[in-house]
Amino acid sequence: MSSSKTAQEKTNAWSKFVSFLSKLGFSPIGLVLLIIIAILPISSPYFQQEYIVRWLIMGAFMAAQSVAFDFTAGYINIVNFGFAALLGFGAYTSGILSNNTPFISVAPGLSPWISIWLGAIMAGFVGFILAVLTLRLRGIFAAVMAWFLGIALMGLINNLTSLTRGPLGMNPVKFLETTNNLPYFYIVFAMMIGIYIILKLVTRSHFGLAFKAIGQNLDAARASGINPTRYLVFNFTLSAFFAGLLGGFYAHFYGSLTPSTLMHTSKTVEILAIAYIGGRGSLWGGIAIAFPFVFFIEYLRSNFTDLPGLHLVIYGLLMIVVMIFYPNGFSGFVAWAKTKLDALFPKKAAS
Amino acid sequence: MAKDSITRPATQESLMTRIKDNLPIIIVSVFSIILFAAVYIKGGTSQIFNVFITGGMWALLAVGLALVFGVMNIPHFAHGESFMVGAYVAYFTFNPIREYLQQNPSKFIGIIAPFGAILVAGLAGAVLGVIIERGIFAPLRHRTKEGWVMNAFLLTVGISFVLTNGANLVLGPNFRGVPRYWDVDAVEIAGAYMSVDRLIAFGVSMLTIGVLWFFLRRTRIGRAIRAVSQDETGAQLVGINLNFIQTLTFSLATAMAAISGASLLFLFQAYPTVGATPLYYAWYVVMMAGLGNVAGAIIGGFIVALLQTSTQLFVAVSWTTVIPTAVMILVLLLAPSGIFGSDVKGVQEQ
Repeated sequence: MSSSKTAQEKTNAWSKFVSFLSKLGFSPIGLVLLIIIAILPISSPYFQQEYIVRWLIMGAFMAAQSVAFDFTAGYINIVNFGFAALLGFGAYTSGILSNNTPFISVAPGLSPWISIWLGAIMAGFVGFILAVLTLRLRGIFAAVMAWFLGIALMGLINNLTSLTRGPLGMNPVKFLETTNNLPYFYIVFAMMIGIYIILKLVTRSHFGLAFKAIGQNLDAARASGINPTRYLVFNFTLSAFFAGLLGGFYAHFYGSLTPSTLMHTSKTVEILAIAYIGGRGSLWGGIAIAFPFVFFIEYLRSNFTDLPGLHLVIYGLLMIVVMIFYPNGFSGFVAWAKTKLDALFPKKAAS
Repeated sequence: MAKDSITRPATQESLMTRIKDNLPIIIVSVFSIILFAAVYIKGGTSQIFNVFITGGMWALLAVGLALVFGVMNIPHFAHGESFMVGAYVAYFTFNPIREYLQQNPSKFIGIIAPFGAILVAGLAGAVLGVIIERGIFAPLRHRTKEGWVMNAFLLTVGISFVLTNGANLVLGPNFRGVPRYWDVDAVEIAGAYMSVDRLIAFGVSMLTIGVLWFFLRRTRIGRAIRAVSQDETGAQLVGINLNFIQTLTFSLATAMAAISGASLLFLFQAYPTVGATPLYYAWYVVMMAGLGNVAGAIIGGFIVALLQTSTQLFVAVSWTTVIPTAVMILVLLLAPSGIFGSDVKGVQEQ
């Protein structure tokens, strides 16, 4: 009797823990996987190799981008085709504000830890402008508007040579003096988790419902009392803010920025592919896909050096196949598997 | 858009409402005339020719884009890659002939060969179009029509990605080009020297557009294409084979992009990402003219070329992407369905 009671309490505590986790947007399995990734680089010498750590950084960077991208594409249903340009804008702003070299015309010399936030705010401001520009546009028109704005931003950065050195590229200061990559991994990993939790909390609230309603049918949403302007502007600004923050990380991690490697439309397409293969409107799908994906792709890149660009072809093909045959992506697959499992093993607690 | 179809009594239509209804067209016309005059004063006839020649090419590309959107509702993002394929095919067809000609000069082959290369490129483009339509869009159409415009758009993004990187993988990033197609001196027209290649490229684009126009207006299949663009269900009811028309339209558009890539080989050369710039400009044109508006795309091509040339002339060459893009953002903001309007079904679909 008493033993069953403690078991009951145990399950109670467990379910409380699970419900607390799910409020933050984690499932127990997801949390375990994240913890594994977090301790991976300190666990064994194999994972401490510089290139593995760099892959992990790349994975977390892509994952965080796909979360911020999916926040617009998966909820409001507008594909932000200028996402990479917004990210690059944040990166350049932060890079210029923290500049202390004589190579470009201004040298405010702020600490990168401060300038990264200013870069994010500037990117958020551009996202705000983009939202205002796309207010009247839907679907393809909004995507094209974002694309045009991205092209214009990239052209602008290319032309302001006194500030950005244009296509030659600039070299922002790094976050840390050390050449060790490990601290950078934890910075970007923390950013990824932070962005995920914040965006998940936003979409868990009534905002998420409003976003989905706007994404599915604007007129119906308006008829049921949702003010689309407010939500659209909020969504774009927040997504662009985080894009700018990640751009700042890129600037102060790699220490080298050129418009074409950062802001080109093909960079948006890479993020789009990860977010879509991960599953639209799930936020976590992109994170789940990004790590194995980056590893697979970097493996291809380093082992088939005689076939440059093979990984990008596979990227595109995978995206096409997923879009035609399995549009729900990885998160849709997990949801499907979950319902099947629940049907196989019905929960006893319910009865 | 719908306002055109409302018939009002002619007497009640005051001048003011007429101006109001056509405000975007009037603004753009006035603006174009001023720019045109400015370009003539600053750059002379050679710049005017430049506008027409580039305009012809953007028009040819944009017509394909407009056709695909009008008939199939696909916002085609891989149009630039058809351009790239055309350029490559023309290079690999023409270059052996050119090398052969250097050893055994022959005037006749020298004149004919470039046309042959352009034609081969067009055929290759048509085949590519059939493969893409049958292999990618037909299965998607089969599965679901829900959210078609956006899904089709993202698919073409994927196709563009695959083709660009595939070309990079197979052929490498090197530039392959020919210095010129026809080994003839530039000709003088109205005080400006124009290379024969440019003149013929303009001729090819105008001829292709003309043939397409005739095909759409005067032949049975062309009428069927227009019928499908107006009403898919109605077209099916009168016995039009929808699958055939859609495949044909897509392959026509791809072929046109390939022809323009082939005839501009001397200007652009062939490399994996060559399609990006033509794609931007073709999109500027269709966004300005109205998505799916084929006739508007022809005029729009010249307006965009005018904008581009005047930016080069009055600002700087490096600003040629920024300023036209900024103007297009304004157009998109003030007249989302284009200055000439667009009555294609599904344009306002979410």
